[in-house]
Amino acid sequence: MNNIKHKLLTLCVVLLAGTTLFGQQVSDLRINELLIKNDSNYVDEYGRHVPWVEIFNTAYNSVNIAGCFLTDDTTGLAAGDYSNWYRIPSTDPTTLIPQRSMLVFYLDNSPLYGTYHTNFDPNQSSNHYIALISSNGKTLIDIFHYPANLANVPQSFGCIDDGISTIVDENGKTVSNMAILDYFTPGSTNKVHVGATKSEHLQKSDPHGIGLAVISISVVFAALIMIFIMLKIFGLVSTRKDRKASQAQAATAATADTTQATAAKDGPTGEEIAAIAMALHCFMNSQHDEESEVITIDMPSKHYSPWSQKNLVMKKVTRRR
Amino acid sequence: MKEFFIEGLKQFFDYSGFANCELGNLIMIVVGLIFITLAIVKEYEPMLLIPIGFGIILGNIPFTDGLQVGVYENGSVLNYLYFGVLKGVYPPLIFLGIGAMTDFSALISNPKLILIGAAAQGGIFAAYAAALALGFTPMEAGAIGIIGGADGPTAIFISSKLAPSLMGAIAISAYSYMALVPVIQPPIMRLLTTKKERLIRMRPPRAVSHREKVMFPLLCILLTAFLVPTGLPLLGMLFFGNLLKESSVTKRLANTASNALIDIVTILIGLTVGCSTQASTFLKVESILIFVLGAFSFVIATTCGVLFVKIFNLFLKEGNKINPLIGNSGVSAVPDSARVSNVEGLKYDKTNYLLMHAMGPNVAGVIGSAVAAGILLSFLY
Repeated sequence: MNNIKHKLLTLCVVLLAGTTLFGQQVSDLRINELLIKNDSNYVDEYGRHVPWVEIFNTAYNSVNIAGCFLTDDTTGLAAGDYSNWYRIPSTDPTTLIPQRSMLVFYLDNSPLYGTYHTNFDPNQSSNHYIALISSNGKTLIDIFHYPANLANVPQSFGCIDDGISTIVDENGKTVSNMAILDYFTPGSTNKVHVGATKSEHLQKSDPHGIGLAVISISVVFAALIMIFIMLKIFGLVSTRKDRKASQAQAATAATADTTQATAAKDGPTGEEIAAIAMALHCFMNSQHDEESEVITIDMPSKHYSPWSQKNLVMKKVTRRR
Repeated sequence: MKEFFIEGLKQFFDYSGFANCELGNLIMIVVGLIFITLAIVKEYEPMLLIPIGFGIILGNIPFTDGLQVGVYENGSVLNYLYFGVLKGVYPPLIFLGIGAMTDFSALISNPKLILIGAAAQGGIFAAYAAALALGFTPMEAGAIGIIGGADGPTAIFISSKLAPSLMGAIAISAYSYMALVPVIQPPIMRLLTTKKERLIRMRPPRAVSHREKVMFPLLCILLTAFLVPTGLPLLGMLFFGNLLKESSVTKRLANTASNALIDIVTILIGLTVGCSTQASTFLKVESILIFVLGAFSFVIATTCGVLFVKIFNLFLKEGNKINPLIGNSGVSAVPDSARVSNVEGLKYDKTNYLLMHAMGPNVAGVIGSAVAAGILLSFLY
């Protein structure tokens, strides 16, 4: 029995570890966007316009890119010879890419400038691709082919939909999802919807604000008219209820009056008048507050704070006798 | 050694306000002092003008950037407090307090007065159109227009969403004109009414049952929020506060909302709005234009309210007519504009008390301006 338990536990641990490892897989990384002719776009931390490439984490968990290689020449891949490639340092905690996020590397052939500066420059290369290789130096994670003339075009090239290089079209054919992009989006999604904002639309269609004024004042009136109608109905119902209640009270009072009138045909006696006067007296007294009826001699005291009491904080002046 | 001390003193002086002071800072500090003086000497809205005035002084003490002391500097204490303004947290809390202290009986007993509150919102949209004509963007124009609603928290709420850069000027303008209601409104009211109209006596309001008072906030929130969901933060809190008051079983909560809570939030909102008027962001031509547009919107709002009552009276029977002097109360400066109606009414008939009647359109104005704010947000945000 114990043996089975141990096996199950081991299996669970293995499965869990497997899931975690799978979750951290660098195979989820894709090269998403590349700009070579960077004349006036993104600048690096040294204020330079240099070519850059964007890596996208397609997974829904964080992936650490540390230890992986970036290169524009995959010669030596089969042999695991990575001596000429740029290895992303594993000592930098910022190489952890959050879920569905991007990281930008500068392709400036200046690896001494920092973690994100590679040792190659696509302007100096005849291979028109960038490759992302795993830390073992043998597994190609992604290869990003770009047009030969990209170095002359001041536009970026990348996936139209983030991380997806091919799609299936309406005819069932697999077609490329890569294109020269309309907007540079280093560090953010390539799918940009640039259109006029709500207020810009409004400015175009209603430049003098008359349309908005008319609609708005109508809506304000509509809202308050609805409240008005509701209050009116509510008032009518409430008044009717109150009227019914008062009518019922009046009827009860009238019956009581008739009974009393029959009993006191000759008018109230002296005792009755005295009783009424007593009842009225008691009633009037009951309106008064009830006193505690305890008389004490108690010195009034106030709680002073030393912050506000001058005699506690001021120096006493000595008197000369 | 000597050089070290001289360098240290020089550095100290560079950090001090004297080294960084500009003319703009001095002007704004004088403005702050004027606000405080007006609040103490003239008693113009002291609860608002003192925190705002002091905030203006605080916000315009010159300092070197990077010390994390300014309201616009990330991580400073004032910046944390300003978060409530920037993200529209404080205005709904103020509305909670207003709801908890407002008695809607006048409105419930005479529902037709609610329409005056709608008419007076005309000032908002007139100012919106005027701001567009002066070259402001629609979002900025919307934020400026809301000054005409005469509701400080609503103005702050809307400007925080539509034009955060103009918030200081808009808030100061809104609160200034609210304080000046007794000065701005009476001449317009006199100009637009005849002596006969000013003497109209209104029917005394009927007694309102507890049941009606409880049902009012519930039904109102359902009606207004379904129509303008964007006004939910303001309207929701207003009617929630009112339910706390009228339900009569949550007295402690209603007391807190209408006393301690609203006081705390008023202090924070006043101080931080004042701080946001740093000379570098406030002393601009736009601010002057905002003040001009604010005055214009107040005038139009008052005019719309009074004229609406005059037109409405044409359709009402003798005995049911409304005194047009309560038309100005459609702007939601509670209870100042209602008080103005009462004072003006008493000038012409010493026994004609209009305060209770004027409170109806006054609280309707609060609802109306919140609805108008919701509409602006849905169109522009």
